Amino acid sequence: MTPGSPTEQRRSFGGATLRRAGLLVAGAVFVLWAVATLTFFAIRLIPGDPAQAILGGPGSQASQEALDQVRSDYGLDQPLIVQYFAMLGRLLTGDLGTSYALKLPVADLLAAQLGGTLLLSALSLVLAWVLALGLAIWSTGRGRIASAVGEGIEITAAALPHFWLAAVLIAVFSVALDWLPPVGTGTPAGFVLPVVTLAIPLAGFLAQVMRDSLLDAMQQPFVMSARARGESAAGLRVRHTIRHASLPAISLSGWALGWLLSGAVVVETIFAMPGLGRTLLQAVTLRDIPVVTGVVLLVALVYVLMTVLTDLAARIADPRLRQESGR
Amino acid sequence: MRAAPVTTSPLVRRLGIAGVALVSTIALAACQAPAPEASGEPVSGGTLSYASGDAEPTCLDPHVGGNYPQALLAGQFLESLVSRDDSGEIIPWLAESWTADADGLTWEFTLRDDVAFTDGTPLDAEAVKVNVEHLKDPATQSSTGYLALGKVDRVEVVSDQVARFVMTAPDSALLESLSQPWLAIESPAGLARGMDENCQAPIGTGPFVVDEWVKQDRVSLVRNDDYTSPPADAAHEGPAYLEAIDWRFVPDAASRYAALQGGQVDVIDNPQPDTIAAAKSNDALTWLDAPRPGAANRIELNSGQAPFDDERVREAFIRAVEVDDGIDALFFGTAERSYSPLSSVEGVAYSDDSLFEPDLDRANALLDEAGWTERDADGYRVKDGVRLTLRFPVSTNQSIPAEQSLFEQVQATAGAAGFDVVIELLDLSSWYGALAAHEYEIVSAPYTKVGPDVLRILYHSDSITPAPSGYFANLAQLDDPEVDALLTDAASTTDAGSRAELYERAQQLILGGYYLLPLYDQQNSFLLSTSVQGARAMPTVSTPTFYDAWLAD
Repeated sequence: MTPGSPTEQRRSFGGATLRRAGLLVAGAVFVLWAVATLTFFAIRLIPGDPAQAILGGPGSQASQEALDQVRSDYGLDQPLIVQYFAMLGRLLTGDLGTSYALKLPVADLLAAQLGGTLLLSALSLVLAWVLALGLAIWSTGRGRIASAVGEGIEITAAALPHFWLAAVLIAVFSVALDWLPPVGTGTPAGFVLPVVTLAIPLAGFLAQVMRDSLLDAMQQPFVMSARARGESAAGLRVRHTIRHASLPAISLSGWALGWLLSGAVVVETIFAMPGLGRTLLQAVTLRDIPVVTGVVLLVALVYVLMTVLTDLAARIADPRLRQESGR
Repeated sequence: MRAAPVTTSPLVRRLGIAGVALVSTIALAACQAPAPEASGEPVSGGTLSYASGDAEPTCLDPHVGGNYPQALLAGQFLESLVSRDDSGEIIPWLAESWTADADGLTWEFTLRDDVAFTDGTPLDAEAVKVNVEHLKDPATQSSTGYLALGKVDRVEVVSDQVARFVMTAPDSALLESLSQPWLAIESPAGLARGMDENCQAPIGTGPFVVDEWVKQDRVSLVRNDDYTSPPADAAHEGPAYLEAIDWRFVPDAASRYAALQGGQVDVIDNPQPDTIAAAKSNDALTWLDAPRPGAANRIELNSGQAPFDDERVREAFIRAVEVDDGIDALFFGTAERSYSPLSSVEGVAYSDDSLFEPDLDRANALLDEAGWTERDADGYRVKDGVRLTLRFPVSTNQSIPAEQSLFEQVQATAGAAGFDVVIELLDLSSWYGALAAHEYEIVSAPYTKVGPDVLRILYHSDSITPAPSGYFANLAQLDDPEVDALLTDAASTTDAGSRAELYERAQQLILGGYYLLPLYDQQNSFLLSTSVQGARAMPTVSTPTFYDAWLAD
């Protein structure tokens, strides 16, 4: 325990938190700027003329006048560096621009698609946690065979590609058993297969990390002393080791959400669900630069927010982190 | 019209095959009892659920751009001046009659007088004039419709119901062009709302109305209860039987088929060949085979540069490759080999299979004669230190997996004669980029259009000149004054008999010069639950119509 009166402690804690928050905001702004910059230049490396994308997509037969008109309307005739700063300027004012293909504000398009993808990702993350915890708890402290089986399941699950898993789940649960719809319906039943598809490989990853730290925790002296106090095996897990074991998995969850959003491209396409993944796929195909930039920025923002949240969650789960910042 | 992008990524699409195979295997295991034959009496009501594998349009107005996904949807709520029947005859639709003057420079269309757009605006000659002006206005960004109206100078309003088309030159393809959904007639008040708003829900005279478009998900269509204007070959009159159509975008082929099998949807498009084969043995499903009009799917040989500027090398390639077994195996008997540049839908399509008889000995002899005598360590022919390489950019958006596998067969069989075929799988933008840069020796590009005038677009030397975007349609780079003259004459002749004759001679020259290897009609299939009765494909561009359709129990 850190010595000092409660007031002192609060003040210093507050100052540290502010400093930390400032660093986080600065970091987030840096990440978003870097993402916007990378996207801006990367998308210009792939073949395809944005003016053509605006005038009906690849292979359009637009006239020279129309192309020139569009290039000057959209500032595409300006030097790249001017276009780059113009884009940064727009982004600073919160303007994501207008979709080349759909001619609608990018912010509106993304707002309409964000909810579905976030719900899909959040449900998958929760299910992955439940599966991972169950597997990790079941397979530790039960001897070599359980441990080997657990490890085998984890590695297999983590290696399963989404498209394959989706095809198998559809074949079994939609076609053969006719229990669940193969195509998203917006109803809870329609969410089951996509969520399971995303959750299983992620659960494999999380369980691997959890089991390692769970085994590690079992070796700690505090386990011995808890046992000595007469704590039951179940109580030991619930009150001590799980908390310990979940720490790396919590920090992994920020990464997991980014991973889920990329998995959403495949899963939303296969299960025909509206969402950011499909929007991104269509936008890349059509070279719809404002939409691509918008989706990438939004995902980066979610990623940054998740990192902050997992950082907070880790502090709640691990008192030692709180102590450190209070010092 | 060139083929439109399909949203599915190459990855998802390739994996789709594995998925379909798996789904079909399990489906066979879970095969159900055959559905009873539905009764013949149409039933009103119900919502038909349609799952489309074509790309989701970026604008529902087919005047803007003008691709096949737009046509699929627009056919449900927009209508054209004329249509085409199963025999290829042009028949009345919004126009009840028409006449052309002797030199073909003016056409007068008399419109039906009992038709109104779904916003209440009456259909009149002024509306036709506004639509043609809309299509010709560069701000509309029309590509397909704009090209089809190339010889139309203006439309004059003769009376309320009579519109006069004034031409810059006679156009024997005018009626065929006007029958296409990309030239559908929309409400002038709807167009006046501006492109952004009109794209969301165009207003037409069709049997259904756009109710809502939820991006990346669906378009909801509801019945037009005041509908009066079916084409002359429709099966009934008055409003449609169906109350609504739920039009969903389901890019993955395996998911689409699974949704159809599970009864979640009633109709799917773009089924893969193995799925069609499986569906044929399933009594609960109906296969609607509707090849697209215009050009057949074919491999074009770029005669504009070496080595195919030499006719002997072109013939050698065509004699070397064998595609028949590949078509049979990869398309499961759903596609028939073509020997014509035109779709079998076109009455004037001319076939000559003798030109395409595989003959490896002849191919080798021709290549020796053309100077490609040496072979390198890999077995490919070499001349003056240059390998006989054929670059083959393949669009993964346009070539289905079965077709991509067929191209690998082409690669293997051409290899036996010493051709080094280099297949490059590309996305649509990169593919157009490769063509614009002439970085190809062989290429396959679909082209849909009503009528044989597609030959002029694909093989007239004018089409070698690229549009500002770099796009050009004459990918064979066929430059023959005799072909040009025949195609120009055919496009302006007013006599049907001599028109057919001119097109036949043009096709003989095109085929005889070994500029292309015809494969099969542009495949266009739909699978329907047997509870869907009365649905058919329009004889224009083979889009499905659900005006006469009803749902039996």
